[in-house]
Formats: sequence, structure tokens, C-alpha cells
Amino acid sequence: MTYLFIILYAITLIYFALSERTKKFVWLLAIQGLILFGVVFFSLNKIDIFDFIFILLETIVVKTLVVPWFLNKVRKHNQLKREHEPYVPVFYSIIVVVIILIISFMLSNYLNDSQMHTQYFTIAFTSIIFGGYFIMIHKNLFSNVVGYLIIENGIFLLSLAVGSIMPIMVNLAILLDVFMGVLILGLFINRVGDTFKSVKTEHLSKLKD
Amino acid sequence: MMSLFFILITAPFFVGIILKVKAKFAARKLPSILQPFYDVARLFKKGAIYSTTTSFIFKIAPLVYFVSVLMAALFIPIGSLKGFLSFNADFVYFAYLLAFGKFMMIIAAMDTGSSFEGMGANREALYSMLIEPAFFILIASLALFTDNNSFYGLFLNLHISTNLSYILGLAAIYVLMYIAMIENSRSPIDDAKTHLELTMVHEVMVLDNSGFDLALIHIATWIKFSIYGTLISNFIIQNEWPLALQIGSFFFVQMAFAGVVGLLESFRARNKLEKNPQWIIMLSAIAIVLFLTTLIITQKIILY
Amino acid sequence: MILFLLKAVLILSLGLFFVPKNRKYFFTFSLHLALVVISSFLIFNTFNQVASLKFPFLSLLNNTIYIEIDKLSAFFMLVINFTCLTGIIYAKAYLEPYYKSKSSLEFALHYFSFLWLHIAMLFVVMFRDALAFLIVWEIMALTAFLLVIFENEKKETIKIGIQYLIQMHIAVVFIMIGFIWAYSQTGADFSFDGLSVYFESHNPLPLFLIFFIGFGIKAGFIPLHSWLPHAHPAAPTHVSAVMSGVIIKMGIYGILRVLTYIHHDLFNIGLFILISALVNGLIGVSLAIVQHDIKKLLAYHSIENIGIIGIGIGLGVIGLAINIPALTVLGFAGGIMHILNHSLFKSLLFYTAGAVYTQTHTRNIEELGGLIKKMPKTALFFLIGALAICGLPPFNGFISEFLIYSGMFKALLSGNLQTDILLFFAISGLAIIGGLAIFCFTKVFSIVFLGTPRSDKVTHAKEASTSMILAYALIAITILLIGLLPVLFINPLIDIVSIFTKDTQAIQQAIPTLNSISISSGLFIVLIALFWLVRYWQQKRQNIRKDATWACAYTGANPAIHQYTATSYADNFVQISNQITNVKKEFKNFEEAEIFPKERTFQTHSSDKIEDYLIKTPTTFILNFLQKIGVFQTGKIQHYLLYAFAFIMMIFILTLLNLI
Repeated sequence: MTYLFIILYAITLIYFALSERTKKFVWLLAIQGLILFGVVFFSLNKIDIFDFIFILLETIVVKTLVVPWFLNKVRKHNQLKREHEPYVPVFYSIIVVVIILIISFMLSNYLNDSQMHTQYFTIAFTSIIFGGYFIMIHKNLFSNVVGYLIIENGIFLLSLAVGSIMPIMVNLAILLDVFMGVLILGLFINRVGDTFKSVKTEHLSKLKD
Repeated sequence: MMSLFFILITAPFFVGIILKVKAKFAARKLPSILQPFYDVARLFKKGAIYSTTTSFIFKIAPLVYFVSVLMAALFIPIGSLKGFLSFNADFVYFAYLLAFGKFMMIIAAMDTGSSFEGMGANREALYSMLIEPAFFILIASLALFTDNNSFYGLFLNLHISTNLSYILGLAAIYVLMYIAMIENSRSPIDDAKTHLELTMVHEVMVLDNSGFDLALIHIATWIKFSIYGTLISNFIIQNEWPLALQIGSFFFVQMAFAGVVGLLESFRARNKLEKNPQWIIMLSAIAIVLFLTTLIITQKIILY
Repeated sequence: MILFLLKAVLILSLGLFFVPKNRKYFFTFSLHLALVVISSFLIFNTFNQVASLKFPFLSLLNNTIYIEIDKLSAFFMLVINFTCLTGIIYAKAYLEPYYKSKSSLEFALHYFSFLWLHIAMLFVVMFRDALAFLIVWEIMALTAFLLVIFENEKKETIKIGIQYLIQMHIAVVFIMIGFIWAYSQTGADFSFDGLSVYFESHNPLPLFLIFFIGFGIKAGFIPLHSWLPHAHPAAPTHVSAVMSGVIIKMGIYGILRVLTYIHHDLFNIGLFILISALVNGLIGVSLAIVQHDIKKLLAYHSIENIGIIGIGIGLGVIGLAINIPALTVLGFAGGIMHILNHSLFKSLLFYTAGAVYTQTHTRNIEELGGLIKKMPKTALFFLIGALAICGLPPFNGFISEFLIYSGMFKALLSGNLQTDILLFFAISGLAIIGGLAIFCFTKVFSIVFLGTPRSDKVTHAKEASTSMILAYALIAITILLIGLLPVLFINPLIDIVSIFTKDTQAIQQAIPTLNSISISSGLFIVLIALFWLVRYWQQKRQNIRKDATWACAYTGANPAIHQYTATSYADNFVQISNQITNVKKEFKNFEEAEIFPKERTFQTHSSDKIEDYLIKTPTTFILNFLQKIGVFQTGKIQHYLLYAFAFIMMIFILTLLNLI
């Protein structure tokens, strides 16, 4: 059953490469939160009730409800509609996503380490690399936040890969990352948007010394 | 032979059901399901006008297109009924035969010397080129999954039992459905209802055809829908079922497919035309994910 | 006896210079025919016996040079003979317009070169001794050069010819280095057979790469292909057809011959061939789509088809390496059969394109259109060639691609992960190449032959002459024969492939499949005829009219201006592939304040990026650098004496300081 969610996650990454509207980015992030809940639910051997509530909180509440709501607010405040012209055309981005996916599958096949759960490692690796690529090709500050959140999802899956129980510490750290990241970046975007009247990253380079 | 018979029977009702579903959702008056039948029968009674710019290519193209689609239907099995023709790697022949039909339609459209038809021909050439890899990768994953090499063998051994193969089946149905919609130029690639330059691909290629030729082209479109519907129904029909149940579920799936196509057309807007190539490549990407899933299922990629 | 006849033909060819101008053609044609008959006898004998044919040809200075013909060589001889024969049949009508303007000597030289090209190519596949091989290879390159510069009143042609010659010589240098290296490391025979001794004891990859570069320049593998798109349009049509159909296959012959001696460490070699072939196919066909010169377009398609042949061969070698006999056998069979198929349909396409050029005096497809009304037979044969090159059933291109696909699907089921990922790339690559070929040829055929004329160059076109149509028909019949009855050609293929591997049962298993394909294709044609009859019967009682194109009742269209042009057809493909095709549009936009816009021009220009980076940029750089140094060459004797004194002074001082 976990495979179903892994494949769905891969398909959401492909949709990330395909779409250009910021509303769709937020929507996809929410769906990814749900998928992550599914992955965790079906894969853990023994779940403490406390752990379970914590994970429920983290994935469904934070990733699916709170963060997308916050991002929507930022989006509406800055009136972001769609992503203009990424550096790499969408056609090639889809090909890049597929190549990253194939490379990570082959990599995990060669690693063949019985210590690590390679089924999560594959998709975690893809997610992290794709998140970085996403930030690289888009010119918008908002997409920076979205890419950062994709990387965080990847790290969440990576924590699943290296252990069969969910250490509280790791989850707390990830939660902190997410909160701080979204909060700070969201406020930052609001400030930047108000000052420069647009959220293109080129304007940020005016801030250097 | 039997499978051809069933494919041909369900073909005429496809477009009728799609129109009915769309009309219902748009709160319009419903045309009869047999309306396309009447249209084609009327065309058979008419003469034809041929343009002076065209040549023998224009006269022969609809024939070649129709026969290529008809022959492609000969390869498709239904459950445990074999197609009329079946041999190893026959899906390659299937794909290239359909490509031959498209080639002739494209040059027939360019033959008229009209800019509208040239536009449609151009777009059709690009989109059918982009959808080729999706079809081949999908069939390659299915061949890998069932360890078999022809349409008949593939679907005979297709057992959807484990969890992972459910995903395979669902994703394959999704991709096949969209391939069917692209091949017949329905949304989101094209809008068959409007005759606007911005949105036409297939409709505009047949502007100058009339009479018998136009009738053949319409029938070929129905048969193409029917072929893809049969391919989809093969995922759902299990080979262990008795024959009557197989045939019954076949009809049911065909109607459901037509209904779903109507649904998708009513609720999904057409893509901006420039975005079409990347949308089609997305289908190939999903087919590649399917391929990787098959590699996991057949234990070639070992994941713990 | 055979040897005597062969030598007689070689000596008689010199007589070409002494025959009067109007008899030259018949003399050449009969010599070609004699050559074909003699070599067919040799081919027939080779295919009938198991071992290869071997007999001494010439004895110089106590060294005998042997002719050795095995099944692979015999196959190539067949390809060479057929294309050269149709070439000389076509040349009769093609060279007629030049009869008055060229002298007797030029004609003699041209026919002589054509004859010796045929002879040299036959000998290239017959000799194994390295020195003899290199000599006839040189003769082949030189005669091809002489043939390319036939239209030497244009300066461009001579420049292109010289560029061709230079690149061919670079190829010869690489091949020579390969042979010398093998000889110096092992001391074995200085011949192809000596290579087998080298390959047994050393790593085959580096030496194979040297040979690959040498033969690859001839075959047109990217990035060594830059001569191809220039030489093919510049040469007269029958020469382009022979070049595209046969000469580049000599490069493939070389690679295959070297491959027959390598028996271990094959995976890297196969991977290398497969990847460069996929790159070839994709880039070749993408660049072909944006060309406006019909012959340049066909030249880029040759690059693409060399890619398809390379895919077959690469898969065959990989099959040998990972021990999947089905992949080996079907891959090699598909690749080798595609050699024959490509020479057939590419020469047909070149002949028909040449006929169009003869009648309209332009190669630019943007100026053509509606030629099907004036040249219906030429159009029909071009259509057959176009359908065959796209690999559509029931023509021959489909059979070779089908064999490669069968091999790939069979290997998919039994391979491991690495193989499956490779095969996935190969399958999708081949599918994309097929789709792009359809895109390109619908464009070419529609723009050249269909629609309405786009300029007045078309008005005086007439149908091609009967000898040209005879050439087309010969090739078209063979194309249809291979497409409809492929089993006739399978048995020779099995013999050829058994040179590489003994386990040929995969092709035996493919014979029933090929029979089914024949039946299906036959059914296809029968059904078309049936429905044509039905339509005839229905339309007999109806009113059939002819009128102008309806096109949604848009009556404001001027057909010549408002049709689709080649640029507009290729445009939506260019939007997704501009990195490869490098199309630049030059135009000036309308300003907002411009109320009465002035006339504007619009130009598109595509260039070959690889050629630019590899050849143009370095040569421009070197030329600029040398121009700066050229300041020293002032032309005055006083300055040169000064240079001499300065040099002596410098040597003197350096010796004093004990530095030299």
C-alpha cells in the first residue's frame, strides 16, 4: 500500500513541473501532505498513540491545512496569479523531473543496503533534488517558499527511510523548520512585495552590498 | 472475429453518448443517441464536391485512413476472445498503421491549399508525434508486467491481483483515456464543438471533405474511440469470468468510458494551445512512472 | 576467368576518354552493366556456399593481394550494384541539359569517376589487406570528390568539394593510425585479420574508438558529420543518391568489419554505438525539419537513418555482451536490412527531388507547390519514398524497424535492470525518431507537390523523362517487394548475422511473424481496393462537382500567399526544440506610433550548432590570428633581409650566453 502513495507522490512532482499557477502549487502541497499521512499510516509497524497523534498533527494539520492557508493569504495579499516564464521551459522541466526520478531509482537499486528502507529513500532523494531544481528555475519569491517546502517533504520521507520508528526529535526539528521557514518567508514576501511592488527575485539582488 | 464484431457494434453509440452527457450537464435538450447514425446515413446519400486544387491524394486519403483504423481494430482482443490478427510485437504494427492513416489525412489537408487546413495538419502532426512515446512506453511496461509480446498474450495474462498492480491498472487506464482523447482531438487538446481557428485540430482538417469521404471519416473516428475503449475494458475484464459476463462488462465499460469522456469534456476547459505540447509530454512522464512501477513489481528494482 | 573479365573492365574504362561525346553514355552504361553481372556472379557464389570466397587478385613485388568475399561483403556488393546501376540509368536524362555547356573532357572525367567509384567501392568490401584497402578507399574518396565538383562554374561547389576532400583525408589518417597501431603492438598481418590478434590480447575500446572516428567521418556520425549537409546538395543528383545510399554505408561496413574481430569486453562498445546513434537520429531529424533546401533536408535524413542503423548495430553488440541472443540477432538483422532499405528509398527520394530541380531550377521548397499537377508520376514515387522512409507499413522501412523493435521487446522481458533502462531509452528514442520523420516528410511532400504554386518557377515544369521514370520504377518495385514479402530476404540475413553469433533461432522464430505481416499488408491493400469500388458504385449515381476550395467559405484568401509555408509548418516544432535547431528570426516589429506601417521583411535562418562550434568558430579564430601575424609579410625584400639578420643576431647572442 505504501507503494501506491509513493507513486502518487512521484506523480505530484510531475504535476509540479507542469503547472504554472501559484494556486495549483499550494493545492499540490496540500495533496502532498495527505499523501505523506498515507505513507506514514501504512508503513509504521507499531505506533504509540502519542506518536500517532503527533504525526497526524504534523502532516494533516500543518502540511495540509495550516501552511496552505497561510500561503494562500500571502498569495492574495501580493496578488500573485501565475509564474511567468521560468528560466527553463516547462517542456524541458518535465523531462528533467523524469530523469531525476530514473536516476534516483537506479541509485537506490545499486545501494542495496538492507539497513535503509530504499523505497522511501528513492522518493525522498527525488523530492530533495527536485525542490532545489524548482527553486533554481523559477524567478518568483513565492516559488522559493514552495520549493523549500518540497525539500522539507523530502527530508520527512528521508527520516522514514532510516528508521522504522519515528523519532520525536527528528519530527520536532522538521516541524520547527517548516514553521520558521513559512513564517519568516511569508512575512518576508509581504514586506518585499510592499516595498518593491513585485516579488521577482531580481529585485532582491539590489539588496546586496 | 468476434471481438471485431463487438467493437464495431459499440462504435456508433460512442459519439451519441458523449453528446448526450455533455448536453445533460449543460442543461440543454438532449439529442437522440442514434443521431450520429442518421448523420452518416444522410451523408451516404449525397454526392461530393472536390476542390480543383486537390489531386488524387485527396481522393485516396479518406479510404486509406478508414481502412487503417479498421485494420487496427482487427488486432484488439476482448478478454479471452482473440483478435482477428495476432502476432508477436503486433502493437508496433498497430501504432504504425494508425500513423499511416494520419500521414495520409495530413497530406490530404495540405492538398487543399487552404491555410486553415494547413494549420490543423501542422498541429495534428506535432501532437501525434508527441503521443507516440507515451503509447510505446505504456505497452512496454505492460509487456514487461505480463511477460508477453502481443496484444492477445498481454491481456490474456494480465492479472490484477496485488496492490501494486491495481496502481498499474489505474494509471494505465488514466493514460489510455487521455491518449484516446488526444487521438480523436477532444478536449483538452481541441474543442470539437467550436469552429474557431484558435481551437481546431482535427475538425479543421476535414473541412473540404464531403459525401462518402466525410461519412468514412466519421465512422473512422467512432471506431478509434471504440478501439481505445476496448483496450481500457481489457483491464477490467478478468479472463476467468464466463464469456457472457465478459461481454456484458465490456458493454458496460464502453458506456462508462463514453460517459466519463463526456464528463471530462463538460468540466475541463481546453488548454491554451501553446501549452499543449508540455501537457502531452506530461502523459509520457506518467507512462515512465508506470514503467518504473513495473520494474518494481517484477523485482528488477529491489527496494526494501 | 572472372578475374580476367574484371581486369578487362578496368582497362577498358580508360577508353572512355577516347570515345566521341555522344557515345560516352552508352559506353559507360555497358561497362557498369558488365561490372554488375560479374560481381553478381561472385555474390551468387558466395551466398551458395558456407565458407567465404577467396582467390588472389594481383601480385606485386612478391606480395599477393587476395580478394576475400564473405556474406557481409556480398551483401554490401549487392547494395552497391543496385544503387550504382539505377544511378547510371538516371544520369542519362539528368545530364542532358549539361550536354552543350560541358566539354567532352569534363563528361569523360565525370563518367570515368562514376565508373571508378563503383569499382573502388566493390574493391573496398573485397580487400582485407590494409594497404590495398586504404588505396581503394583513397580512390573512392578522390573519385567522389571529382564527381561532387561537376558543377564547377559555381565557386561554392569547389569550396565544398575541397572541404569534403579534407575531411575524408582526416578519416583516412585515423584508419591508418588504427592499422599501424595494431601492427606495431602485435606484429601480425598488416590487414583486417591482423586486428583479431590485437583484439584478443588488448582492451578493444581505444582502438575501436580510433577506427570509429575514421569510419564515422565517412558514415556521418555526429559530431563528425559536417561535410554531409554541404556535399549532398552541391553534387549532381545521381551522385548525391550514390553518396547517400552507398558511400556513407562504406563507413558502416568498416565499423562492422572491425566488430567481427572483437569477442570480449563488448558492452562499452555497444553502449557507445547505441548512444551516438540515438543522438544522431534525434539531432539529424530535428535539423532536417528546419531546412528549406530539399537536398540538404534529405542529407540530414541520411544522418538520421545512419542513426537507426547504429541503433540496430549497437543493440546487437549489447546483446552479444549480455548474452541475449534474441537481441543480438534481431538487432543486427534490423540494422543490416536497414542499410539495404535506406539505400533504396533514399536514392528514390533523391532521384525525384533531382527531377524537380531539373524542371524548376530551384532547390528551395518555399518556391514550389502544386507540382503534382505537372509531374504526377514523380510525385507518386516521391510519396512512396516518403512513406518508406517514415517506416510505415506496407513498405520496406517498416520491416527493418519492426525487426529492431521485436529484438528490443524480447530483450525487455529477459534483461536485468540496466538493460531494461537502456532499452527503455532506445524504444522511446526510436518512437520519437519515427514521429519526427512523419512530421518532416508530411511537410516536404505537401509544400513541394501539393497546394497551389508559391512562385512562378513552377509554371514550366513538365513530367520527368522515361529513363528517369524507369529508374524510379525499378527502386519502387524492390521497395514494395521487400515490404510485402520480407520472408524472401530473411535467409540471406540469417547467414550474414551468423558471422556475429551462431544462435540465430530468434530470426527463425520471427519468420511466422513476418508472414503474418505480409498477410496483414496484403489485406490492407485489398480492403483499400474494396472500399474504392464501393465508393465508385455509390458516387456513380450522385452528382460529383469540382469547385474551388471551400475552407470555411473564406473567400478573401489568395492561395499563393495564404497557404502554409515550410517555415510556418516547422514553427511549432521549432518552439520546443530551439536549442538544437537554432532558428533565428530577423524582423523589425511594428512600433505603436507607426500609423502607416512601412514595408517589412521577415527572414528565418537556421544553422547547425555542432558545425558552428566544431568547425566555424575554430577556423575563424585561426584565420583571425593568422591575419594578425600576416603583418610580417610586407612584400619588401629589405624587410626579409632584416628578418634574416635579426635571426642570425639572435642565434649569435644566445650562443654567447650559452643558452643553446
